Amino acid sequence: MMKEFRKAANCNADDFSFFIYRSDEQATRYAQNMVTQNMSGVKYTIRLSVAYENRTGSARINTLDESELKKMIETAQTIAKLNKPDPEYVPSAKKAKIPKVGNVSDNTAKASMKEMISVIDAVVKNAEKKKAFISGLVTKTITDFYMKTKNGFEGFDSSSEFGNSMTMADNKSKETKVSRSVMDIKDYSVKKEIALLNSQFDALTTPKKIEAGKYNVILRPQAVLNFFEFLLYFSDRKIADYGISAMSGQLGKNMFGKNFSLLTKLDEKGVTAQPFSADGIVAKNIDWIKNGVLNALNTDRSYAAKIKADPSFISNIIIRGGKATEEEMMKKVKNGLLINNFWYIRTVSMRKNEITGLTRDGIYYFENGKIKHSVNNLRFNQVIHEAAKNILMLGKEENMTPSVKVPTMLIKDFNFADTTTF
Amino acid sequence: MDHISVALDHAQSLGADYADIRIQKTRRETIVLSDLSLKNTSMNVEHGYGIRVMKNGAWGFAHSNIFTNDEVKKTVEQAVKVADLSAKIKKGKGLTLAPERGYIDSYSTKIQIDPFTVPLNEKVDLMLEVNKTLLNYSKIKRAFFMLENYNDDKFFASTLGSRIHSNIYYVYPMIVATAVNETDSQSRSHDDGGYAAGWEHVLKMDLLNKASQIAEEAIMKLEADEPGEIRRRDLILNPNHLGLTMHESVGHPTELDRVLGWEADMAGVSFATPEKLKKYRYGSEIVNFIGDNTLSFGLATAGYDDDGVPGQKWYIIKDGILNEYGSTRDSRPFLDDGMSRGCCRATNYFDFPINRIPNLYLEPGKKKLSPQELISDTEDGIYIEGRGSFSIDQHRVNFQFGGDMFWEIKNGKKVRPLKDVLYKSNNPEFWNSCDAICDDRYWQDFGVTNCGKGQPMQAARMTHGASTARFKNIRVGGSK
Repeated sequence: MMKEFRKAANCNADDFSFFIYRSDEQATRYAQNMVTQNMSGVKYTIRLSVAYENRTGSARINTLDESELKKMIETAQTIAKLNKPDPEYVPSAKKAKIPKVGNVSDNTAKASMKEMISVIDAVVKNAEKKKAFISGLVTKTITDFYMKTKNGFEGFDSSSEFGNSMTMADNKSKETKVSRSVMDIKDYSVKKEIALLNSQFDALTTPKKIEAGKYNVILRPQAVLNFFEFLLYFSDRKIADYGISAMSGQLGKNMFGKNFSLLTKLDEKGVTAQPFSADGIVAKNIDWIKNGVLNALNTDRSYAAKIKADPSFISNIIIRGGKATEEEMMKKVKNGLLINNFWYIRTVSMRKNEITGLTRDGIYYFENGKIKHSVNNLRFNQVIHEAAKNILMLGKEENMTPSVKVPTMLIKDFNFADTTTF
Repeated sequence: MDHISVALDHAQSLGADYADIRIQKTRRETIVLSDLSLKNTSMNVEHGYGIRVMKNGAWGFAHSNIFTNDEVKKTVEQAVKVADLSAKIKKGKGLTLAPERGYIDSYSTKIQIDPFTVPLNEKVDLMLEVNKTLLNYSKIKRAFFMLENYNDDKFFASTLGSRIHSNIYYVYPMIVATAVNETDSQSRSHDDGGYAAGWEHVLKMDLLNKASQIAEEAIMKLEADEPGEIRRRDLILNPNHLGLTMHESVGHPTELDRVLGWEADMAGVSFATPEKLKKYRYGSEIVNFIGDNTLSFGLATAGYDDDGVPGQKWYIIKDGILNEYGSTRDSRPFLDDGMSRGCCRATNYFDFPINRIPNLYLEPGKKKLSPQELISDTEDGIYIEGRGSFSIDQHRVNFQFGGDMFWEIKNGKKVRPLKDVLYKSNNPEFWNSCDAICDDRYWQDFGVTNCGKGQPMQAARMTHGASTARFKNIRVGGSK
């Protein structure tokens, strides 16, 4: 590809950074037990960022056509020449050793659309047996990413992902969802996923009314991921140093409690990792939060240069778990709520590290070690690090996507600020 | 044009009952200024085509960016193959399409100054001046300015005989000031969203004055009190704020595909089910919502939608009653034998078009009423400007909204600024509590450019609008 770029024209800027992203995607959407959309195609993103001294410009196109590549180079160069200087400009990334990661599977690449339809066929038949309706999305994506800079950085990564997200509902109040994606399609078992979906569905009863308040909660992995991934949005070093986020002044301090560890690990078994970022930061193992202590914050190249720190980015997400089963968790506390998922999570206050959202896809009340019945959905307004401090038990880690592994958690005093009407 | 005939003829020769091709070239200029550092100055171009076929009651869709007749044929074949596979899992006869005819027409956004021809330094100078104004306030620690100029040049053709060209523009400047002290950080933004027009619209905005105002209000929020315990008070909401509230609590629940359950796995479904049509009291009698894809400055206006259905204007809520949905050609037949309301839109050439919120607005009040008069008439309330935290359940019933600027109202006067205010309500409580809407002199639009929906996710555009309105007795307070 670099050959085509060179062929297109000489980029005469003082500096440049060039990347190509190719994605071959098949996506089949189904709803109410039938296929409603089905798409297929290859997409390209080709981006060139250039600089003349500290004047920058960039252009992006979606074709490998030689004349368009030429135009892209001219556009980026013209923007940079006309632009104002950037006082925080940093030169493009230098030559670096890219870590070896295994992000691609031939099995997934070879999977046919027929195989994808067969997954839908199986889940629809299951829903029909249950006199229920199923909706979801099956996707297969193969991506290639290549990057090169004038200063010698060169990197290539390929990845594959197969996923199925499915929501099963009846005409009354039952509604639950299971979603998982894997690097290698052979690691996806439709039978296992249907069994999980059925177990969640069968455990649902007509929801009893429950009021807002503080509850012990068991968060299943999807809920854990959706809740704690918000931390990543707040974990920018510059934002923290400016006093805008709750991480301000917290580096090195135990902000999250001893049961919470969040890390990036390139050689974690069964977890993929992005080997380098789109601006040329090389991935490395980082304990972002270790046993509650905030060790590191995401730092872009420009700010890293300013504070003389190493730049960093989140290459994969692992939240460390433990050995507790859901049954043990239910026995640990007198009663509480077992939650499949959260939904529509938004920031309430970045300075307080507080977010809001609602339960979704099934919420069950448990007492004396057993699920008793479903309850209506609730809204939470919760400070993230306070929830982390309140973790009582951790379950086994589970892969939710190829690059994410999180456990089930038992958390005390989770703050539900409002009830809902269903 | 050759590619178009090749695509449509080939689709029909392969047994397609219907086919369309959308050739789309999108240009997007983005300039991001963080403090005084230009983080991104870029021009993005995406050019390609999507071919959609319906065969045996199922859709197939494929896209490409290679403009040769061979590639067009291959793309058609892929779309047909996809449709054949989809048809294996259908209910009854599968999908059908609401009646429509072909059109030969064109539509362009009315612009005076093409934003892509305005010299870069003119744009960056304006942005730098704004951010310098913000940073002149010692408590403003972060100044952010994003400018987006957008052009979508599209040609749609279908086997119904449609040949429709559209050329759409919008401009979108957005400014955020963040004030910080030892214990808190508070932001205030100037964000009216996108507006379908040229650069002349940005020139009219008086951004330097707006910058001073938002800097001062961000600092004011730092020192402001929180609202305390949640209790019932009256809310007065400005048009910018209401743009988001109506988007989430009226726009999405009245998309017919959600009503039919097609979004159940992702965005969710809708409480506003078909048996409620023409009966359900969604709001008080003064609440009228209009879907209007003919608004000249509306972001959903393109002459026709991506089904080739003309832009229309209709009541979604009339005199407070649920009147009609926003629909597409494939969703409408599940409701009745009516025609589509023209709400089928894809974001990029490679996206499958889906049921989208139209330009949607709250009709202004019929009696003369100003926001000041409304405040004077309120004993115990909170006035909210702008958008903040927002969250709503997957049936679009229960919600919590924040805002960008808050004022406590006591005995008809704005007595003090507040911060971190949230209100909680639901459908139908909220819109039924609306007891006053200011008149059309105070009507303002708000253009959404990033409405996320669908799988894979697409970010669509539409414009909302309202005059300042009052909502009685809503639960409002802090976050707990």
